[in-house]
Amino acid sequence: MLVAYPPEFRREYGPHMAQVFRDCYRAERHAKSRLGIGRLWVHTFIDLIRTAPSEHWDNLRKDNWIMNKLRKNGIAILVTLGIIIGAFFLLSYGRRNEVSWILTVGYVLDALVTAGVIGNLIVFLLIMITRFNPLRIALWTLLVVNGLLLILSAVIGSRVDPQFKLATVLIGYVVSFVFWFGLHWMWAQRQSSLPAAT
Amino acid sequence: MAKQKTDPDPASLLPLRPSVFHILLALSDGDLHGYGIMQEVAEHTAGQIKLGPGTLYGTIKRLVNDRLIIEAEERPDPEMDDERRRYYRLTDFGHRVLKAEVQRISNMVSVAQRKRLIPKTRS
Repeated sequence: MLVAYPPEFRREYGPHMAQVFRDCYRAERHAKSRLGIGRLWVHTFIDLIRTAPSEHWDNLRKDNWIMNKLRKNGIAILVTLGIIIGAFFLLSYGRRNEVSWILTVGYVLDALVTAGVIGNLIVFLLIMITRFNPLRIALWTLLVVNGLLLILSAVIGSRVDPQFKLATVLIGYVVSFVFWFGLHWMWAQRQSSLPAAT
Repeated sequence: MAKQKTDPDPASLLPLRPSVFHILLALSDGDLHGYGIMQEVAEHTAGQIKLGPGTLYGTIKRLVNDRLIIEAEERPDPEMDDERRRYYRLTDFGHRVLKAEVQRISNMVSVAQRKRLIPKTRS
C-alpha cells in the first residue's frame, strides 16, 4: 500500500508507517479480535485514500513541478502549435486556390495536422503528469495515434471517398510519424546538451 | 531555548487541525515514537480520534517542516527500546503554538460557559 505515496515520502516515513501498522496489527492479534483486525485494515485503507493524494499534491506544490515542466517545454509547445497552424492554413489555401503541389501533399498535411493535434496533446499531458522518459512517451503515443488514425481513415475513407487511396494515406501517416517523432527527438537532444539547471 | 528569528507568530498557525493539536498534546509529556503518539491520542480522546499511519506521518512531516517538533536524538530508554523507532520531541516553538491553541480553546469554553451551554468547572 505504501506504493501509493510519493517516493520521497515513502523513503522518509515508509518503514515507520509499516512499523506502526505492524504494532497495531500485533495489538489486535494479542486481543484476539478478528473484527479488530478487519477494522484495522479498513481504517488503514481509508487513511491511505485520504492521505496519499494530499502527499502527492504537497509534492507538486513544493517542487512547482508542473510549472517548471511547462516553462521548460513552453518553446516546444509553441513550435508545435506553429507547425500545426501553418500546415492547416497551407492545406486550406491549397484547396481553396487549387494549388497543385499543395494538393499533391494534401494527405501528408492532413495527417500532420490531425496526428499533430491529438498526438502532441497527449504527449505533452503525459510529460506534465508523469515522470516517464519524454522521448519514450513521444515514441509510443505518436506510434499509437498515427496507427489508429490510419486505421480510421482506411475504414471511413474507403466508404465515403471513391478516389480514396490507402497507399497515399499510409505514406501520409508514416511521414507524419517520422516528422513529429523527429521533432521530439531533436528537442530531447537539445535538452540533454543544455547545462543542468541549478 | 532562545526564540528563533524565523519562527512565525504562534497565533498565525491557529486554529490547529485536530490531528496536529492531538499530536502536539501527546508530545507535551515527553518524547514519543509514532505508535506511542497514536496510542496516546487514542487514549486522551477516548478512542474518538484514531490516527492512521498516513495521517500520523503526513502530520509529523508537516510539523517537522514547520519546526513544531523535531526528531529526538537521545532515546528515552535505550535498553527497552527498538532502535529502529524514531522518537519525536516538541520544540520550544511547538510548545508556544500548543499553549496558544489551548488558550484559544479555553476562551471559547469560557464563552460557552457564560452562555450556559456548558456548566462552569470548579477550580
